Amino acid sequence: MKPEKDAWNALNAHAAAQLKGGFADRVLRAARGPQAETWHELNAAAARQLRPGFADRVLRAARAAADMPSLASQFALSAVTAAVCLAAVIFIHQRNVNAADERNLAEWRQVVSVAEEFEAGVL
Amino acid sequence: MESNSPTALADLVRRAQKGDEAAQRELIISYQHRVAGFVYAMTSRSDYVEDLSQQVFIKMVRALDRLQAPAQFESWLFRLARNTCIDQLRRQKLRRIFLPFGEEHENIPEPPGAVGSEELDALRHALAQLRPQDRALLALVQEGRSHAEIAETLSTSVAAVKARLHRAREHLREHYQPDHET
Repeated sequence: MKPEKDAWNALNAHAAAQLKGGFADRVLRAARGPQAETWHELNAAAARQLRPGFADRVLRAARAAADMPSLASQFALSAVTAAVCLAAVIFIHQRNVNAADERNLAEWRQVVSVAEEFEAGVL
Repeated sequence: MESNSPTALADLVRRAQKGDEAAQRELIISYQHRVAGFVYAMTSRSDYVEDLSQQVFIKMVRALDRLQAPAQFESWLFRLARNTCIDQLRRQKLRRIFLPFGEEHENIPEPPGAVGSEELDALRHALAQLRPQDRALLALVQEGRSHAEIAETLSTSVAAVKARLHRAREHLREHYQPDHET
């Protein structure tokens, strides 16, 4: 039985050697979960990321953003531009159609007068 | 600002709502560290802190005149902060779809001890394992918000906040390993 006991002892010793120093403290800290000081440390680390003059930079950026046209006004401008373009297209198209109608009518009148003259000559 | 006086805070908010730049500056200075801490808890990324905090305060300045109850300013500000962080995390997730490399290549963890103690590294690591909604919940509790205020901030019930908080704390404790090597 002695060799078996030695083997168990060796296994236990090997396992114990795997535990780094301060094992009990680490287990207790993990079991307690993060403490208030750790959260304070997190806040302090975050606060250190803000460069000096943060408030002034924010206010400058907010002013610059306020000077930019809003999404609604940009949309309104786009809608007005599209409406003006559409009206211009319809107007030009209508004018071209009217001009073509007048031209065709004039040609028909000419054809009619020639036909009337021809008819009068025949009779 | 006498931050422990709700009346003084409400007066300051009213002045800021009228466009008083000194009042707006005072609000930013009073809350910048707390908002930065909240952003850090939400993202676990120190390089996001300044940029996202700035976004939060720009939104605050631009939307302040729409705040109906100046007494609710803190809840309102932290709701802005939470939404800004969650939007950022969503955008990051969406952007990753179109990138040829994985999350581990974009989110290079800060080396242990680079930011703070072993405990802080463990807390950052544990927070990063949680859902953003749970991180927000824990960060709001650390901010000193009451369950009722958190319920209002998250547009939910107090009972739901308590249940979710319980689960979030359990998850945080599961992932909190002070000897964890990030």
